[in-house]
Amino acid sequence: MDTRFVTMLRPFLKYAGANEITLDSSLRDLGLDSMQAVELLFAIEDTYQVSLPDELLTDTTFATAGNLWAAIESSGVGAEAGAKLC
Amino acid sequence: MLSTPPELDKVLAVAAEHAEHADADAEFPTAALDALRASGLLGLVVPVEHGGLGGTFADVVDLTMRIATVDMSVGMVFGMHCQQAATIVRHAGPALRAELLPALARGELYLASVTTERGKGGHLLTSESEVTAEGGTLHVDRDAPVVTGGVHADGYLVTTLAPDATSPSQVSLIYAARNQLETQVLGGWQPLGMRATHSVPMRLTGDIPASQLVGEPGGFRDIVTATFGPLAHLSWSAAWLGAASGALSRVVGHIRSPQGRKQFNTSSELLLTRLAGVRGRLDLVHALLRHTLDVVDRTQDLSVPPVQLLINTLKTQAAVQCFAAVDELVELVGLRHGYLRGSALWLERVFRDLRSASLNYANDRLLLANGALALLDQEVRLA
Repeated sequence: MDTRFVTMLRPFLKYAGANEITLDSSLRDLGLDSMQAVELLFAIEDTYQVSLPDELLTDTTFATAGNLWAAIESSGVGAEAGAKLC
Repeated sequence: MLSTPPELDKVLAVAAEHAEHADADAEFPTAALDALRASGLLGLVVPVEHGGLGGTFADVVDLTMRIATVDMSVGMVFGMHCQQAATIVRHAGPALRAELLPALARGELYLASVTTERGKGGHLLTSESEVTAEGGTLHVDRDAPVVTGGVHADGYLVTTLAPDATSPSQVSLIYAARNQLETQVLGGWQPLGMRATHSVPMRLTGDIPASQLVGEPGGFRDIVTATFGPLAHLSWSAAWLGAASGALSRVVGHIRSPQGRKQFNTSSELLLTRLAGVRGRLDLVHALLRHTLDVVDRTQDLSVPPVQLLINTLKTQAAVQCFAAVDELVELVGLRHGYLRGSALWLERVFRDLRSASLNYANDRLLLANGALALLDQEVRLA
C-alpha cells in the first residue's frame, strides 16, 4: 500500500482513530459502509486515474485495505506506486 | 419441491377462522400458530435427517403465499419464522443445530427475530446494543422496539454488538431460548394493519452461553448476505403477493356471482382495463419473485451489486405493486365492498395490511442502497 492510499482511506474510517492501517484492516469494522463505498471508489479513481472494473466491486474487494489495494494494483497502479508501507 | 403438506388445509382453515377477530383485537393468531406447530410446518426448512420437511426457499415462498391469501399477518409470522429457522440450519454450529433442529421439526420452537433497536430503527447491519462477556457467558440486555410475535416465541435470534466490538458494524447473532431470558413487554401494539402480528416493544435480559452464537462473532453481515436478507425479501414479497392475490380472487368471484353480475357490467371497458391492470401488477411481482428465487438459488456470492440490486428491487416493487393492486381493487368494487368492514371481500383489511409493506424495512432505505449499488454497476449487468 502506498502512503497516498492510506491518506485517502483515513477520512472514510471514522473508527480507525490514530491506529495504523494495515493490509488486514477491516474497512467495514473501521466505519466504511455501502453508501461511502461509492465515494471511496470515486476517490480511488480520481487519485490513481484508473477505472476499477465492475467485476471487482464486490464485498470482498471492500472488505480489507489489502483487498482494495490489490484491486487497485490489478488495474495497473502497482508499478508507479510510492513508498511501500506494508 | 415439496408436495402440499397434508395439514396445510387445516392451517388455512384455522387462520381464516380467526383472522377477523385477531385483526379487530390486534391479537396474535395463537390458534393458527398451534395449527402450524401440529402441521410440522415450523420445521419446513429443517433437513429431513433432523426430522424436518427438508423444504427449500421456494417452498417457503409457496407456503407463505398460500397462508397470506387468508391472513397476511399469519403469512408474515410464518415467513419470518422460516427465515430464522433457515438461519439456524445454515449458520449455527453443530451442537446448536443438534439441539434446535429436532425441536423445530417437532413444532416446539417458534422463533422470533430481534433486530430492531431504538437508536437505529430497523437498520440491520449496525448495533448499539452492547453485550458483556464473562468466561463462556454473554450477558444480554436488549431493548427492541418491534418484536413480531415476541410474546409467543419459544426462542429468539437476537442481534447485538460483538463483545469486544470497536465499531457499530461488528454485529453478532445470538440464539436465546425463552427460558434463558427475562422478557418484559414495554408497550402495546395498535397499528393500522398487520394487527395480528402483535409486534410489541420488548426488553430481553439474560445470561446466554457463548456457544449459542450463530455464525462468527461480529459475523452477522455474512449471514444477512447469504440467508437472512434474501429470505426476508423473498418471504415478505410472497406474503404481500399472497394477500393481494387473495383479494383479486375474491373480487373476481364476487363479480362473477349472480349478485355481482347485477352490480357489474362485465363488458365495461373501465372494469376490464382496471382488472387487467391489477392482474398485471400481480404477474409482474410473481415473475420478479420467481426470478429472484432462481438467482438466489444459483448464485454463489450474493454480495455482488447486480444480485443485491435484484433482491432489494423485489422487496420495494412487491411492496409498491401489491399495495397499488389492492388500492385499485378498492376503487373498482366501490365503497360498500371496498371500504367497509364486514364485507365478505375484506378488502379494507388487506389494504390496511399492505400499507405496511413499504415501511417494513423501509423502501426509502433500500432505494438509497440501490442507488449506490447502481453506481457500482456501470455495465448494468442485469441479474
